[in-house]
This record gives sequence, C-alpha cells and structure tokens, in this order.
Amino acid sequence: MNGIHDMGGMQGLGEIGYKENEPGFHEPWEVRAFALVQAVRSGGLRPYIERIPAADYLRMSYYERWYTALVARLIERGVVTRAEVERGQADPASVKATPALTPAVARELLFRTPQTEQNIELTPRFHVGDRVCGRNIHPTTHTRMPRYTRGKTGVVERDRGVFNLPDSEHVSAEPKLQHVYLIHYTAHELWGEEASVHDSLYIDMREDYLEPA
Amino acid sequence: MSQRNSDNAQDHTDVPSDPALRVKALESLLIEKGLVDPAALDVLVDTYENRVGPRNGAQVVARAWVDSAYKQRLLDDGTAAIAEFGFSGGQGEKLTVVENTPSVHNVIVLYLVFVLSLACIGLAANLVQVRALSLSDGD
Repeated sequence: MNGIHDMGGMQGLGEIGYKENEPGFHEPWEVRAFALVQAVRSGGLRPYIERIPAADYLRMSYYERWYTALVARLIERGVVTRAEVERGQADPASVKATPALTPAVARELLFRTPQTEQNIELTPRFHVGDRVCGRNIHPTTHTRMPRYTRGKTGVVERDRGVFNLPDSEHVSAEPKLQHVYLIHYTAHELWGEEASVHDSLYIDMREDYLEPA
Repeated sequence: MSQRNSDNAQDHTDVPSDPALRVKALESLLIEKGLVDPAALDVLVDTYENRVGPRNGAQVVARAWVDSAYKQRLLDDGTAAIAEFGFSGGQGEKLTVVENTPSVHNVIVLYLVFVLSLACIGLAANLVQVRALSLSDGD
C-alpha cells in the first residue's frame, strides 16, 4: 500500500542516528515484545504494521509497532478480544489453548534455516542484462515494491531464483511462484540529476513488479 | 527476604513506561489463555539477548581480514562460509557478502523487511527506516 512505511526518497525525517555498539534492544520490554511475536506463531505482521495510521506510525518506536501489529492481528483473528487486551486478563468464558511453541522448539527455532527458495523450474520472463521498468501498481495491500521504483528503468543484474510472492500471501492461501531479480538502478534514474553519478541502487524485485522497458 | 524487599523498592522507584505496561499485560494475557508457554518465551528472550547479533558477524569479518582463502569463500558463497562458524538460520538462507574497496562503498539497506541474517547481524531496527538514499560521493 502507499503507506508511510514506504519512506525511500522522503526528506525531512531527520538524521539517521548511528550509534556505536548500539544494543539490539533499548528496553527490556522490547525483547519481550519481539519474543511474544515469535512465541505466538501468529504469522506475518507486516501488513498490520503497514496499516498503522501514519501519525501513529511515526510517533511509535520500532517495537511499539510490532506490539501494535501483533494485537491487531490477534484481535482480527479472534484469538483475543480488545477487552481482554485492555484488561490484560482472559475473558472468564475463554477456553485454555495449548501453546504453539514449546521450549524445545524455541531453542532451535532461530537457527533453523527456512527454505523459502522454491526448487521448481519456471521459465523466467527476464534475463541478465534486460532493461526493465517498474510497473505502475498501487496495491492497497502488502507489497514489496517500493514507490520509488514505479516507472523507473533499471537493468537485470542477477536472477535470484523462484520464490513465493509475498504480496499475495496475505490475500489468499494460493502460492504465486515467480522469479525474483536483482535490479540495478542508477542514482540519477531514481533521485534525479542532482544525485551523484557514482551512486547505484540494487534491489530485489519480483517478476510481477516489472515490465520490459 | 532482603532480595524480595529490594525488588519491591525497584517497583516503586522505576515506573514502567506505557509500552512496558502494555507488553507485560499482553504477555500475562497470552500465558493465561495458554497461547504462550512462559518457558519458551524465556528461551527466546535469552537467544535474542545473548546468542545472536553483530558480534557473530564481526567474527566472520575478522577472519576474512586475516585469512584470504576464507575471504574468497565468503565472497563466493556467503551462506556456506558463515555456516562454518555455526551461524545459520533466520533470514540467513541466501547471504551474499560484498567487499568495500577504496573505490566502492556498499550500504546495506533493509527496505520493507525487518531482519537480515539474524545470527550475524541481529535485529537492526534502526536500518528499517529508510531515508533519502544517497551514498557519499567518491570518498
């Protein structure tokens, strides 16, 4: 969706504050929030993060967005009610579930390498060296195509293989397998003539996002 | 007994922030409903705090600096070379390693995604917010 989360190229957001040896979590609640997301195995939260109203999104810290998205998803799925969340207590009538994640599985969960690349032969539409253009799509749901690539021309640098299209994952259970390409854009193409002639941007783009230039 | 007293003193002097309260309430709720196993949660918290992160990535880079054969393996197949250290898993399925040179400076930007090689880099929360993309010119 054309949301606030898609910030590439925006100005006026202030300096990126780099910190030496910045900890992964600034507060204890942040790591607990992130661990809750993993423990509940609730599925993809990106669409829920992206739907946070813009002003709230900008005000929230990173893990606050995760918390907000988790609650939204759990409520939407009927796993908890808003009243339960606000009270921090289960409804007396609710039936006790079984945890999705056990300690044994938790111990090795993060070190399991998931296999997202699909082992399937699919004819690629594009090849290394092809000039391609970002399609003018404006989905209202989740997409991995940033706005700044729409209508922009780049060159296929590499074929990454076949993957499921994340855009459709949240809309239907039907997998949509396609090639993913590493596209090379010049900074001029994306950011205008003032951009440095030395700079380039490389981005992975799904086949559905592209058309021949 | 004294341990318990000091814990209570801690509760009174440090007022938890709003997000901390809300996360604690959610955690209690999910445990109460049987959706989360508190022991599993503790394993995850321990993993994120102690077992993953940039320290791991730093070991990989340090080895590449002193071992040119390793460096070549790293550039040829990032995933396999990093796995030599026992680092694998979350978002580390297909890692490409690029080298900064005097003429080429690489900047990795996480865009519309949240983690990159959990084991080696950890959770680079600040990198998610992409601003104007402009690499420095020729330095």
